[in-house]
Amino acid sequence: MNNDREAILKRVGEAVGGLADRTPYPSFRNDLGVSTARSLDGDLWEIFCERFVAVNGMPVETPDAMVEYLKTFGYTHGYCDPALRESLAPFFDSGFTLEESFDRQDIDRYQFGITRAHAAIAETGSVVVTDRLTSSRLAALAPWVHIACITRDEIIRDTVAAVADLGDDPNVVWITGPSKTADVEGILIEGVHGPGIQICLLL
Amino acid sequence: MIAVDRDPSPGKKVQLMATCLCDSFFDDVAVATVEVLEYLKCEVTFPEEQTCCGQPAFNAGDWKSSRKVVRHCVKTFAGDEPVVVPSGSCAAMVFHGALLEFEEESDLPEVRQLAGRTWEIADFIVNGLRVAEWPGKFPAKAAFHRSCHTRETNSGAATRTLLESIDGLELVPFGEGEQCCGFGGTFSVTFPNISAAMGKLKLGNALKENPEYLVSGDMGCLLHLGGIATREGKTIKTRHVVQILRDSLRNGGLIP
Amino acid sequence: MKSQPIDTYASELAEDVRRAVADGSASGYDRRAASLFSDFEDPDFLRRTAGDVKQHTLENLDTYLAQTEDRLKENGVEVHWAGDAEAACRAVLKIMRDNGATKVVKSKSMATEEIHLNDFLEREGIESLETDLGEFIVQIDHDHPSHIVKPIIHKNRQGIARSYEREGLGAYDDRPEVITARARKFLRKKYLEASVGLTGANFIVAESGRLVLVTNEGNSRFCLAGTDIHIAVVGIEKVIPRDRDLSLFLSLLGRSATGQQLTVYTEFISGPRAEGQPDGPRQMHVILLDNRRTEVLASNCRDILRCIRCGACLNVCPIYRQASGHAYRSVYPGPVGAVLSPLLAGEKFSELADLPKASSLCGACKEVCPVNIPIPDLLLRLRDKAKHEGIKSPGTPPMGGWAYLASQPTVWRASLSAGRLMNLMPLNLIPVPALRAWTKSRQLPEWRGGAFRKWMKTRKIGGKDS
Ligand code: SF4
Repeated sequence: MNNDREAILKRVGEAVGGLADRTPYPSFRNDLGVSTARSLDGDLWEIFCERFVAVNGMPVETPDAMVEYLKTFGYTHGYCDPALRESLAPFFDSGFTLEESFDRQDIDRYQFGITRAHAAIAETGSVVVTDRLTSSRLAALAPWVHIACITRDEIIRDTVAAVADLGDDPNVVWITGPSKTADVEGILIEGVHGPGIQICLLL
Repeated sequence: MIAVDRDPSPGKKVQLMATCLCDSFFDDVAVATVEVLEYLKCEVTFPEEQTCCGQPAFNAGDWKSSRKVVRHCVKTFAGDEPVVVPSGSCAAMVFHGALLEFEEESDLPEVRQLAGRTWEIADFIVNGLRVAEWPGKFPAKAAFHRSCHTRETNSGAATRTLLESIDGLELVPFGEGEQCCGFGGTFSVTFPNISAAMGKLKLGNALKENPEYLVSGDMGCLLHLGGIATREGKTIKTRHVVQILRDSLRNGGLIP
Repeated sequence: MKSQPIDTYASELAEDVRRAVADGSASGYDRRAASLFSDFEDPDFLRRTAGDVKQHTLENLDTYLAQTEDRLKENGVEVHWAGDAEAACRAVLKIMRDNGATKVVKSKSMATEEIHLNDFLEREGIESLETDLGEFIVQIDHDHPSHIVKPIIHKNRQGIARSYEREGLGAYDDRPEVITARARKFLRKKYLEASVGLTGANFIVAESGRLVLVTNEGNSRFCLAGTDIHIAVVGIEKVIPRDRDLSLFLSLLGRSATGQQLTVYTEFISGPRAEGQPDGPRQMHVILLDNRRTEVLASNCRDILRCIRCGACLNVCPIYRQASGHAYRSVYPGPVGAVLSPLLAGEKFSELADLPKASSLCGACKEVCPVNIPIPDLLLRLRDKAKHEGIKSPGTPPMGGWAYLASQPTVWRASLSAGRLMNLMPLNLIPVPALRAWTKSRQLPEWRGGAFRKWMKTRKIGGKDS
């Protein structure tokens, strides 16, 4: 394999070494890829909500509203990040079971998973989850409903700011709506491998 | 990417590159080109030695043969005057294709010199001569097919500008306008089935609103589409853009 | 006369498949256009800039690759280099054997398609399972993907439901939501059984060593939540210089592929799982794959290596729409494939030398390409290459006679008026059966050779003889 390394690097060097003039790195604004069509000025939570809804996400402003939703649709068994337990548990009544660890042997036992998110991106309606803040990757993925929790000051403006914020966490995921596919005849189906319902709860 | 910059004020003495298709099938298009240019007070010369732009061999991958023809073309159209072509395809061959196949040839500068003063007719009228409104009248409904070789050039927009300004002429929109008509020169011969299917699709889209005319800046597209229409018993008059411009002048009594 | 394979394939394609491909690609095209043009005043500027970034990276790949390797290592990633398909497959196998692993779950990756990793692993007794819904269906059907982004664009729900029934995934039910739900149920067990999650990468950033993966289904996320070892097979051309480039590239990729501002799961992975994180790989390996990319880089077609595999050029290509992806007989179909596949074929170039011919050179592909690859120019260069190598092309007329005539003006003029040019005009410079095929569906206009020249000579200008 090390031979391959030397050989590849040598071939690359030879391939580009003879180029008379090499294309320079172009100069462009960091936010060139950010749409200018819709304004990002104003309350970022509101903008986020609008965009999140556009990708079929569900923003929720209070724990009460979240619990009511879960109850209405019969999602009563779930996982909750231990760090969130204290603040959220009081909103759940006795009809719910909240687990603090995620059993990978029986992932379908969990109808919902509540985890802490790192941020949300207003421009794209994405929630940002990181390895350090997410208590369990599986809990944020396997249940039908995923609830990502953020605070108001964690909402960032656009993908430029979100890229700048990637930091040194080994695993950052921008989640833009529920898991989906259009592989079968182009028909949109949500909840392929991950959640069919993606909620963002404002703490 | 190879590209050329063109002199924005090209002058009124022009050389006409009539194209081999007009030379053999569509003489009226070449005639209309002359009449339109002369109406715009251009002095048109027609270098008699001209044959073809070299595109057939270029597209077929026979660049050696193509370069031979391009070299002849460069010789024929010597000088500094703009060369005007009633075809987006042949014009693009001169200002883009030829540069590509001469990339490593020592006479690239000569080819580039010709490329730098070669214009597709609508582009020349609008962006060279700065004429944005077309006089006369042409009361009819027409579908305009932007030919593919005018992509990423100014010709498509220039043609639209001219046609849309003509009194009485209504351009009908149609679906999948970006799709190719399926001609592609020898492509239509080597890929007869796909080519015909593409043509039928294009025709179906373009004729949906029942236009009287099908207009394009390339006789290749019209030869192909007109041919299919005839075979399918559809009635559609095919016209080169420059014929519409000329007829508009005639209808308005601006030229005989 | 032999005909062009892609044309023959298209003419024999079942009507329902042709329709499915045509409709699927047209809707992809529309979505792309809608999102780019409503969101940006000058999307072309974005495409050109992204193209320049990539071209710059390729032309300095020696520097950027070395930087990438350094960063990956600093991040705790094990870096492997694979000169060809065999070496890449062996590298995967070795990692698995070293760890006693026997099962892999895979998220969609063109690079692993290219090296035929599944077949290799199966021969070695390893279960390698595709988890992207489309790829999963392709795999149970022993079929091949026919589109870069929509692998089963050529299939309909009835066929899929029959395949499921055959494979014991449930009684016949062709509702797309049922098809999807059954795959969900089946695959989620598999993620947890496997010890290796295998992915490609859409980008790899030189300055940070970040791998970027995009999916809509979330399958790659599941591969990296359920397993213990992450192996990424990444073509060396996937490098981009800086993190700051990501906003632009992701914005273009999502919109060009499916008309989305961003795909649902955009993952930035720079190493094994964080401390304290209970799920996900403890080991991460990146296999940097050459497999003739350096040959392409050395050629005059290096621009094709800018490709970010968005599939937009397929969606807009009229030939792809008529012929479907399998007509291209290679992993990469459509315009990008017509350039890349023959180049990656190496000494088997001649077997795919017809692909660059399958284009009317309409340029629609270049117009939509998010990295502005001049695909028509590259197709032409490959035609030139084929001609140089003496590769015969069915139906392509010899041009020598025509070139001779077109550089002899006197003979040209004489032939024109004698109507003899008819036999040498580009259109008709063709073997007779092909002409018949042409005129079967089209009518040639009347021959008027020399008429314009006569008019030009004899007309009166402003009442005066010219
Ligand atoms: S060549 Fe361009 S349009 Fe085609 S798949 Fe690659 S990036 Fe997309």
